Amino acid sequence: MALAEICGLQDFDNRKFGNNLFDDIGQYSGNFSHHINLAAPPFGNPADLHKFNKDEAGRKLKINFDHGTTTLGFRYEGGVILAVDSRATGGAFIGSQTMKKIVEINDFLLGTLAGGAADCVYWDRVLSKQCRMYELRNRERISVAAASKLMANMVYNYKGMGLSMGMMLAGWDKRGPQLYYVDSEGSRIPGKVFSVGSGSVYAFGVLDSGYRWDLKDEEAQELGRRSIFHATHRDAYSGGIVRVYHITPNGWVHIDNNDCTDMYYKYQEEKKAEEGK
Amino acid sequence: MSILSYNGSAMVAMKGDNCVSIATDKRFGIQGQTISIEFPKVFQMGPHLYVGLPGLATDTQTVVEKLNFRKNLYELKENRRISPKVFASMVSNLLYEKRFGPFFVEPVIAGLDPITAEPYVCNMDLIGCINEPEDFVVGGTASAQLFGMCEALWEPKLKPDDLFETTSQALINAFDRDAMSGWGATVYIIEKDKITVKDLKTRMD
Amino acid sequence: MTAEVNSYYPDYATETPKQFQFSPYADNGGSVVAIAGDDFVIIGADSRLSTGFAIYTRDQNKLFSLSKSTVLGCSGCWCDALTLTRILSARMQMYEQEHNKVMATPAVAQMLSTMLYYKRFFPYYVSNILAGLDTDGKGCVYSYDPIGHCEKATYKAGGSAGALLQPLLDNQIGLKNMQNVTPAPLTLEKALALLKDVFISAAERDIYTGDKVNINIITKDGIKEDTFELRKD
Repeated sequence: MALAEICGLQDFDNRKFGNNLFDDIGQYSGNFSHHINLAAPPFGNPADLHKFNKDEAGRKLKINFDHGTTTLGFRYEGGVILAVDSRATGGAFIGSQTMKKIVEINDFLLGTLAGGAADCVYWDRVLSKQCRMYELRNRERISVAAASKLMANMVYNYKGMGLSMGMMLAGWDKRGPQLYYVDSEGSRIPGKVFSVGSGSVYAFGVLDSGYRWDLKDEEAQELGRRSIFHATHRDAYSGGIVRVYHITPNGWVHIDNNDCTDMYYKYQEEKKAEEGK
Repeated sequence: MSILSYNGSAMVAMKGDNCVSIATDKRFGIQGQTISIEFPKVFQMGPHLYVGLPGLATDTQTVVEKLNFRKNLYELKENRRISPKVFASMVSNLLYEKRFGPFFVEPVIAGLDPITAEPYVCNMDLIGCINEPEDFVVGGTASAQLFGMCEALWEPKLKPDDLFETTSQALINAFDRDAMSGWGATVYIIEKDKITVKDLKTRMD
Repeated sequence: MTAEVNSYYPDYATETPKQFQFSPYADNGGSVVAIAGDDFVIIGADSRLSTGFAIYTRDQNKLFSLSKSTVLGCSGCWCDALTLTRILSARMQMYEQEHNKVMATPAVAQMLSTMLYYKRFFPYYVSNILAGLDTDGKGCVYSYDPIGHCEKATYKAGGSAGALLQPLLDNQIGLKNMQNVTPAPLTLEKALALLKDVFISAAERDIYTGDKVNINIITKDGIKEDTFELRKD
């Protein structure tokens, strides 16, 4: 062990690897049987991963997870509106312009994702399983409050380990339209108006100026759409298409998808027409 | 994040048949925040000579002023137009003077020789090492994407119209995959008796 | 005596403690491109395996055929790729024996995502692209980030030259920024020509990509293999 210590290997665990292939497979895919059973890293603190960002030659590795977002959600008279962009960036490179940032957990529950894309999608998938289990056990749909608490508790177990997610959970349950903000730090906040992600500051600017409780459905959808659009224009890490969802008493409805380019030139035309009057 | 990618930019210059092109995006941002979408990064330095300065925006503006000063002094002393090759040496010289505290720009130069009308493109690193290839040069935060586009689209002896199409397609598709650049583009096609400047309609997100 | 003094006066140099950091990761380079059509999908990967400026081999196939209609292309840390594919094919075999049917491409895609996320706190440093035919025989491509974010696409470039290749595919297949064009169904011939073109471009400018492209053409009749030479410098 002395040599191992000199080489700085003492932090690496010396697990016994079985010769049995079956054990091996179980060891390398533990989350198949228990979804929260993720592999422990071979060093003390999982948040220390960034220390291994160089290869043997000392060159920087680019372990870029997909990131960057603008998402928003607000409650009003007619339900809940969720609107999101669709860009995924790894560093400055745009990995995708068509990412789905609204996850359909079940017919009455939607989740938006911001932060680490893989984190959000994985835990949303786990949540949707748990929500279905609840339904089967209790013969009624889970409330948004309960679902969001399941989520918050799950990720709280991983606090400080480097998970990165800021999500909104929205749905319609016995108590009416519901909107919760849940993040990887363990916060869980009910509220009327939220916006999450790198472009949220720009989205809030438009959203707050146009928000009223008694908005009409079309007005509310357009407000969400416009807020995201203006955020994509100013924020480099947001863009692609704007997706709008509306939660009604009968479940969620996907309103539409609009390409940001089309919207930019449409709004530009409208502005021109306005000035011409 | 590198200081060269603090403001974001994308630039490309190509040689054609008796013509050259230079194209740039129009964004000025501070990291993720877009401040302006009509920020000039390509400057006319002579009737057939353009220089593009992708990199740190404050240095773009300082360097173009310094270059204008030196170029004017040269033209007054010599009483003739500066050739692209000499201008490139001048830029290189200016940058190397600040070898240990450099300007954070990676210039791209495109032009026609004032006498022979020979097409010329070059680029250099931030301390003035000149690269004079036979085909195209790229610069800015989208340079990896631009290399991929140009390497596939460029071919020898492009006529001005084809050169315009090739340059614009290379630039737009490259910066559409780069978060830090875009928001409009300007293409300059430089021919012996005509200079065409066109603004392109692009994505704005 | 400090290290700085040592470099100025080599004759007076003394041995000072040097610190070495072990790194569990290596970057072995390589690029993968996959393009899907209505009834086919092609996937290509270069065959250069390198570390920094040294080349381990010029002939390393980076495509793993997982079933008759699914192929996975891996680039990045080669040892991680080997482990990942080993576990993946073992899991597929378990599925086949349990359910008495071969795993369909969309199912493999989801399983790969879950397997990558298992190593969330010590990720596989691999850029994966999965290509295959779905249950309707339609071509599909799935791309991943290192911790298992998965997205379905019709074309995707990944690996060390991903940034060079992707915009060209956007332009030529996605028809981005093209005016007055009518989208026509992609033919196998066009897809193959394009795949070769983009690799030639990448080999010009990316030092981790070159030597040869291994191509798998997946149709309902199975997987056909093809190779294509690239520059070797």
